[in-house]
Amino acid sequence: MKAAPFAYVRPSSVAEAVTALAEHEGMARVLAGGQSLVPMLNMRLMRPTAVVDVNRIPGLDTVAIGPEGGSIGSLTRYSTLEASADIAAHLALLTTVTRHIGDRQVRNRGTIGGSLAQADPVGEMPLACLALGASVLVQSVSGTREVPVHELLLGPYWTSLEPDELIVEVRFPTAPSLFAFSEVTRRHNDFAVLAVAVTATRTGEGFTGVRLAASGVEATAILAEDASAVLEGTSLSDAEIAAAVEATVDVADPSDDVRASAEYRVHLLRVHVRRALERLRDGGDRV
Amino acid sequence: MVDLLHRHTAAGTGLGVSLPRVEDDRLLRGEGRFVDDLHPFQALHMAVLRCPFPRAQVVSIDISAALELTGVEQILVGSQVAERSEPISVLRPVPGAPDLPFFALATDVAHFEGQPVVSVVAQSRAIAEDALDLIDVEFDPLPHVSDVVSAMEPDAPLLHPNELATNRLVTNNQERGNPDGELAASAVVASDRFFVNRVTALPMEGRAVVAEWRQGARELIVQHSTQTPHLVRKQLAEALRLDEGSIRVLTDDVGGGFGMKLGIYPEDVLACLHALELGRPVKWVEDRTEHFRASTHARESVHDASIGATADGRFTAMTNAYATDLGALNSPFGSAQLTSITFGGPYNVEHIRTERLVTVTSKTPIGAYRGYGQPESNFVREVLIDRIARQLGRDPLDLRLQNLLRPEDLPWTNHTGAILDSGDYAATLRMATERVGYDALRAAGRGPRADGRLTGVGLSCFIERTGYPSARFLANRGSQFGAHEGVTLRANRSGGIDLITGVSSFGQSSETTFAQLLSEVTGIDAGLVRVHTGDTGASPVNTGGFASRTTIAAAGAIELAGLEFVGKALRIAAWLLEIDDPTSLAVRGTDIGPRDSDGPTVPLADVFSTAILGQGIPPSEAPGLEATAYYEPQAAAYAFGSAAAVVAVDPETGDFTIERFVMVHDCGVPVNPMLVEGQVLGALAQGFGAALMEELRYDPDTGQLLNGSLLDYFAPTAADLPHVELLHTEVPSPVTPLGVRGVGEIGTIPPGAAIVNAVCDALSDPQIELSRLPVTPEAVWRALADAAAKGGRA
Amino acid sequence: MSDKVHVTLTVNGRSVDADVEPRVHLADFLRHDLGLTGTHVGCEQGACGNCTVISDGVALKSCLTLAVQADGSEIETVESLATGDQLSPLQQAFKDAHALQCGYCTPGFLMTITALERRGGALSREELRGELAGVICRCTGYETIIEAAEDHLAEVAARG
Repeated sequence: MKAAPFAYVRPSSVAEAVTALAEHEGMARVLAGGQSLVPMLNMRLMRPTAVVDVNRIPGLDTVAIGPEGGSIGSLTRYSTLEASADIAAHLALLTTVTRHIGDRQVRNRGTIGGSLAQADPVGEMPLACLALGASVLVQSVSGTREVPVHELLLGPYWTSLEPDELIVEVRFPTAPSLFAFSEVTRRHNDFAVLAVAVTATRTGEGFTGVRLAASGVEATAILAEDASAVLEGTSLSDAEIAAAVEATVDVADPSDDVRASAEYRVHLLRVHVRRALERLRDGGDRV
Repeated sequence: MVDLLHRHTAAGTGLGVSLPRVEDDRLLRGEGRFVDDLHPFQALHMAVLRCPFPRAQVVSIDISAALELTGVEQILVGSQVAERSEPISVLRPVPGAPDLPFFALATDVAHFEGQPVVSVVAQSRAIAEDALDLIDVEFDPLPHVSDVVSAMEPDAPLLHPNELATNRLVTNNQERGNPDGELAASAVVASDRFFVNRVTALPMEGRAVVAEWRQGARELIVQHSTQTPHLVRKQLAEALRLDEGSIRVLTDDVGGGFGMKLGIYPEDVLACLHALELGRPVKWVEDRTEHFRASTHARESVHDASIGATADGRFTAMTNAYATDLGALNSPFGSAQLTSITFGGPYNVEHIRTERLVTVTSKTPIGAYRGYGQPESNFVREVLIDRIARQLGRDPLDLRLQNLLRPEDLPWTNHTGAILDSGDYAATLRMATERVGYDALRAAGRGPRADGRLTGVGLSCFIERTGYPSARFLANRGSQFGAHEGVTLRANRSGGIDLITGVSSFGQSSETTFAQLLSEVTGIDAGLVRVHTGDTGASPVNTGGFASRTTIAAAGAIELAGLEFVGKALRIAAWLLEIDDPTSLAVRGTDIGPRDSDGPTVPLADVFSTAILGQGIPPSEAPGLEATAYYEPQAAAYAFGSAAAVVAVDPETGDFTIERFVMVHDCGVPVNPMLVEGQVLGALAQGFGAALMEELRYDPDTGQLLNGSLLDYFAPTAADLPHVELLHTEVPSPVTPLGVRGVGEIGTIPPGAAIVNAVCDALSDPQIELSRLPVTPEAVWRALADAAAKGGRA
Repeated sequence: MSDKVHVTLTVNGRSVDADVEPRVHLADFLRHDLGLTGTHVGCEQGACGNCTVISDGVALKSCLTLAVQADGSEIETVESLATGDQLSPLQQAFKDAHALQCGYCTPGFLMTITALERRGGALSREELRGELAGVICRCTGYETIIEAAEDHLAEVAARG
């Protein structure tokens, strides 16, 4: 299929971009990597009056990550994230999940900001950003604001962004030293049936700053706050892990689709939350 | 037993040599010529509005707004198409079934999601699609049926009330001996209901057509992506009420077919109708969204099957009553027809019955697809054999070896009259199990490995019918095509031979293998042969590329034509060389000279030029050097083999990986071992896809396709398939020219059963039964849960 | 509202000027405006990768890139690989390994591997499978494609 007609706008600054978005009053779409938008255009599932191509805006692809976290420009491509030594050193979970995203061609184009704005319910990037406690800096004609990712993601393909807002960067606090990530797919790097990401820091015998997130079990990636609280400060004993598994399952409400049934997803959630936490206890995953 | 890939020792370019493909260079350079690559001057583009419901009354159609869109040239609706064309004919009807006639556009009731309802031709494809958005069709959804089981329920909506009293199209029964009595008297019987998934062939190039009508010439030129140019011509002539002489079908490169591109589809008729009326070329290229709904699907059947055995393990009887889906309407080849023929497989079983029930549903029509019923029968039979083994406490390998037909049992006529021609079936099974290290795997402890996984090994023995057993066989089934191939050989002045065939090039490498066959027969270097494919205006009327039959039938035609051609060439050469006995001559490289000694030679180019010019030829010879021959095989050749899969299962999640897959197969004498291996590997990948991942899923309530895109239909990627270890035996078939057997489909057959048997072996719990394809991690987890509920493994 | 946009780009070393509708994707532009029909379209859903080309050095799916986005870019397609009569070493490796049958997906693989070759670095067979997972082939079962890619990359590495 061929896309329905639309106008093409190529701003050279964020200000120009958000002005264009505002002018189209919600009928324009931002084109970043295009890996989700263009298929929707081609299949006529989306018919914006205008496409605002932000790829030529300078300064949106800066990676500034260090031991205290930092920021990643919204237009940074997955392939750049994947190859960044700074990210591997300080946000290893991000490097790991990037390898599970799409294929090489998609990673060459897809962007971190685009992924968060797309809010795919099983997207790896929203999940990792939730687990890492990230927030996004968004800009509109009326100024900028910072939105924590857990407040950004409202539902499948649904965010709290206003139609004239553009994500300009993603901000990360100091990353915990440990992480574990599990993903189940029907084929190589397919959309996840289920994914679990957990981060924490080891402090003496205990684990602190535990953040457990899962996708594939709700309308959007979820932060399992009760489970995280159950684990906070503990040594992740088997009993504590079991309690966290139950607390996670309590907030899960998956649905059936062509990839898996809801029932199987709950089962996988139990298994993979447990396994991820066991691996975290044993020192966590490595890039 | 030869490892074919290492048989490069033969000199020359004939049989058994892994010649590089002549097709490759153009394709590697991006110079293939697929239909969408053609840009005829002033071409127009067609788009099709399709029924969005599984079944609906077409109440009204308003095209007024679309007609006003700039760039729109013509719009057709069902009533116009019904006036101007005939219903689309069927090439391979289901034996004994009534007609279910339909036109290229739905006229009254649309019978499936994706059926064409309106066609638009415009200046560009995008404008044609813009016009579709402006067409207002009022559909009144009708009750639908979404699977073969519910189709037969007493309260099922009647889908074709004018033609059928129920949703059963026909039942075909075949029986030998006393299977029911034998089953009743058997010491053990394994029985179950098996479900085989609906899949799709999924060639990477969808369907495509460009039609151009030259009024003054009264010629419709149809460039078409098909495996059967001559059959397309026949069907188009019937549908369009044209003489066949007014239609020329041209097929250049085809981006895969796998059985899906046999004969015509509604869009072909539509493009031609538009072209006939507009006098301009009309192009239609299927997009992937259309493809998933409007190109034929495949498989989907439900089997109630049983196998009985004596206490000492001899198979007593097999039965398989199965319902197979036709979909909403007939496609050119309809539903799979080889399940019954191959259900007995390579085993010695006297008492056997197959009952085939063909149902209609409200889904996309089923068509031919690589395997065509054989993966289904193999899955059912081989899984049941392992269950017999478990019941008897026997090793599945021993049990199979005990029951396989021995070479001296062949030829073996099975309950359908099919004749298994020759082969050493047990030898392939021994080779497969030796290669995989079967005994060690079976002897290994049953406990989990360090990674928590359980390993298992599973077997699958198979046969494949390749080619058709004569035109008589087809006539008995009402098939509208023959079993033959025809070729024309024509000398050219450069000393080369033009080989003209109606076969098209869709990846099966016929251009290379036909040249090799001619080289084998005549001694002429394959490099001197130029194969011209897919032009109905130039080629002898043939059958086409499907049913693993092309090489078999073409080998005979090439042999006959080649002998005639070279005989005349030698006679002319003898005349030129002033030698009395032409039989003392032979083709040697680019010359003709004495067969067994040195002596004067004459270049082929001189012989061919002399013949073409007709000056200086023997007085008894007619000018020209050309031979046309047809060949019809009188029996099918049965390819065969065995596979062994090793899996590692995570018993907690059901996830499993295929750690090894060994396949031993026999395709008789291989024409080109490299290409044989390529065919087997490619078919295996489709076999793995259908066994593990692929399934077209429908919402039972809405009747709509849930995964009609490449994002949700799980075709395997390079990272999803196991490494395959491929071995061969080479038993020449006594019933085919040169001893070849077909090879195109065999790989689709064994994966499902071998993998299921391996998973069950890994889990080593007799309560665990996997009876459904695809076998997914979730399916394994469910089977484990069900077994636990039945009191098996905790 | 869908006025054509003027673009200037380089395709296979040749400078191209054209006016394109914004809705036209790069694959259609290459195929139907420039006549470079070696780039094949298999889905327009971004899933089959048959349309992969190289843009400013990286492999991308040309059905997921608007032609207007390519303004100012350097595009390479399969037509750029061979030199005169001579197949490129990668094309030859495909031929030697029988890594193509119908040939429809082949340009997508060739361009994906060409980009990979330029990126350099050693890959395990597993990683190579992952790098090639963006192109769907329905004929070969991938075994021979992986073999061809492996042979070719090893040869490139050996040459240094």
